[in-house]
Amino acid sequence: MSKIVDFMEERLPLTELAAFAKKKTVPLHRYAFWYYWGGISLLCFIVQVFTGILLLVYFKPGPDAYDSVRQITYDIHFGWLIRSAHAWSATLFLLSAFIHMFSVYFMKGYRKPRELGWWSGITLLLLGLLFGFSGYLLPMDELSFFATRVGLAIPDAIPVVGHAISNILRGGLEVSEITVQRFFALHVVVLPLLYLPIIGFHLYLVQLHGNALPPSEEEKPAIDRKSIAFFPNFVIKDLGMWLITLNVIALLASLFPQQLGKVADPLASAPAGIHPEWYFMSQFSTLKIVGKLIPGGLGEAAGITLFIVGLLLWILIPFYDVKKKGGLIAKRATYFGIFVVVVMLVTTILGYTAI
Amino acid sequence: MNYPVWEVPIIGGAWVIGIIAIFHVMISQFAVGGGLYLAMAERKALKEGHRDWLPVIKQHSKFFLLLTAIFGTVSGVGIWFAIGLVQPEATSTLIHNFVFGWAIEWVFFLIELTSAAVYYYTWDRIPEKLHLKVGWVYAISSVCTLVIINGILTFMLTPGSTWLGIVGSGHESAYFWNAFFNPTYWPSLFLRVLVCTSLAGVWALVSFSRLDEEAYGEARTRMVKWSATWLAPSFILTPVFFAWYILMVPQENKHLLELGMSTIGSGAFTQVTRLGLVSIITTATISGVVYFFAFKYPKDFTFGHAVSIVFLALCATASTEYAREAVRKPYVIGSHMYSNSVRVSEIPAFNKNGYLTTSMWRPNGLDATPVAVGQIVFRGQCMSCHTLDGYRSMRRFLADRDEKAIGNILKMLREHKEDSPYRAYMPPLVGSDEEVAALQAYLMSLKSAGTPQGLAMK
Repeated sequence: MSKIVDFMEERLPLTELAAFAKKKTVPLHRYAFWYYWGGISLLCFIVQVFTGILLLVYFKPGPDAYDSVRQITYDIHFGWLIRSAHAWSATLFLLSAFIHMFSVYFMKGYRKPRELGWWSGITLLLLGLLFGFSGYLLPMDELSFFATRVGLAIPDAIPVVGHAISNILRGGLEVSEITVQRFFALHVVVLPLLYLPIIGFHLYLVQLHGNALPPSEEEKPAIDRKSIAFFPNFVIKDLGMWLITLNVIALLASLFPQQLGKVADPLASAPAGIHPEWYFMSQFSTLKIVGKLIPGGLGEAAGITLFIVGLLLWILIPFYDVKKKGGLIAKRATYFGIFVVVVMLVTTILGYTAI
Repeated sequence: MNYPVWEVPIIGGAWVIGIIAIFHVMISQFAVGGGLYLAMAERKALKEGHRDWLPVIKQHSKFFLLLTAIFGTVSGVGIWFAIGLVQPEATSTLIHNFVFGWAIEWVFFLIELTSAAVYYYTWDRIPEKLHLKVGWVYAISSVCTLVIINGILTFMLTPGSTWLGIVGSGHESAYFWNAFFNPTYWPSLFLRVLVCTSLAGVWALVSFSRLDEEAYGEARTRMVKWSATWLAPSFILTPVFFAWYILMVPQENKHLLELGMSTIGSGAFTQVTRLGLVSIITTATISGVVYFFAFKYPKDFTFGHAVSIVFLALCATASTEYAREAVRKPYVIGSHMYSNSVRVSEIPAFNKNGYLTTSMWRPNGLDATPVAVGQIVFRGQCMSCHTLDGYRSMRRFLADRDEKAIGNILKMLREHKEDSPYRAYMPPLVGSDEEVAALQAYLMSLKSAGTPQGLAMK
């Protein structure tokens, strides 16, 4: 055993790593609970990779898509469980990523030197949304078919290039087996290729700069700040959170398994109450509301422009809210954050009540 | 149908039993394991000279007494009320078969409750050795209550071929021991003992994590660590005894478990498997959390951790007990009485002469419209599992089915063929042709109107 350790130590910077882990601390304060959410979304991503690979063993893109998912759900041992875990973990992944992003925002974790962490994080969330969107169509049942058709209205509304983008995604004017093939390529090849290096970079930045302190803690003199050792104390707590998350996924997947609807029929009329998944509900319902206020194509363009502007402001916030003692500017940034949360919640609720 | 029917809206009668029973099992199994825990902890403290443990154990015994003697007993009596109302035929069978068993069970209850009170109130008042003896009296009598009730509970799943051979002959009580030491008795007893010791450890963790770090210091840490070891036997042995238990469960019941591996179908088909999964994941998590948080780092163990473990233990108990009940489907007493109180032996007569012929609850004369007759058949044969609008809702089930489809399902349930998908978890439909037609008329009336015509109006 010690020979193997020696062998590794001569070839890898193990001693430095151990020293780094020993030295590293994580701040402990009343908002420390929010530090766990990035880790929770990471676990959900790992579950997605694991269950995704298992689904890949049986899933067939293209014309056989529905039938292969039917097989996974009804014929293959525990296929339903893997599929349900994949679906529930997707939801928890996005939910925890949203919570992580907002907690970073309100703790002002985007300030210097953590801007790159903020941007890479937003990129990961946007890619995560694309993961969700592309994965949702793959079973090709009635619900996923019509929800995708409706969901493609969002990129379609982008001025000038919108139609081109949605046509490329669809592979034609209608959602079809060609769309499944494209979404599949996106879901299992393109997006993971983009996602993995960025997540590596994102984690590297966290190690480099450490956890950001919320302003209320930063004001305190260094001697009054509490912290715990990263290893083993924080890691144990983090693993505890992972265990809880794993339990939640398992409970949800066992008690509320993902169902499979009828095979998609493009000629049939859409079933009542078709709507996108919850993480697109806010955008979807904003488009509808703006569309009502300003009828026609102009309204759609106005709606989508609104998001793009909002997203840009969100991305650029580290350039606006710069100073440690930010005063009014820092307050305004916080109010903007609260405004965004309220708008997202209200539009989501309006979206669901309108069904 | 010799007894009145108790209609529980939304959750259904079975869940009334279920909710009370899960609560009761959680407490009573703690009462059994906790008794052993108190005696062993006191013995260890006296033998190894941990005098500082004694006030801590005393504190824990107060919590223990309150929880088991009040909530345990109240919920235990609650089960009797619930099963008497929801499953009177099966309850009657259990009482008639196990008169002696119940009597001795109550003797042990009395000893258990008395000694628990004596144990708590004599702390520091009688010699230490005598006090420890009281603790052992409690521990042994509470284990005895498990030893007895386990025979009756396992009997319901596997009455055993000897008892099934003589049932109805009037000599059932002469075969008491055959029914008592039935095929699943031993694996179930060992499994339950493991659960009891684990729960003792879990509740002790709750008690000791609340202790003040400053005041108790070393004693707190050591007792948290020692309590964690109470879960060790079940980490190692549960898989073994569980495999033994499954081996003794009849093939037709195991079929329910296998069904859920390959398909989700509609909910009811696969409940057992899905609940089994919940039970496995929560149990595995408890092992992990107790090992890492309580055993490896007892100093950092908090009340919050302990409460999380209790919550997980509640999930594990609930899902396991539910799965154990569900695996008995379609019977309430294995191979003898179906879950709707119809005895297997009565079926030919019911089909020949009619289900309601001997019933005290049949509408007469002008009241005997098909819908009214159908409602009585429904209450007798369907309502022990189905509700109108809540759990296993009939209205939801009927919503997208027309008269022909309903007729086909009733036909399938009545024929009860070997390859029928319902056979694994639903009893056969019994009765005369007129009664089945009446049931169909009643089901159709459920579809069309909010309130069914017939007796419900009166």
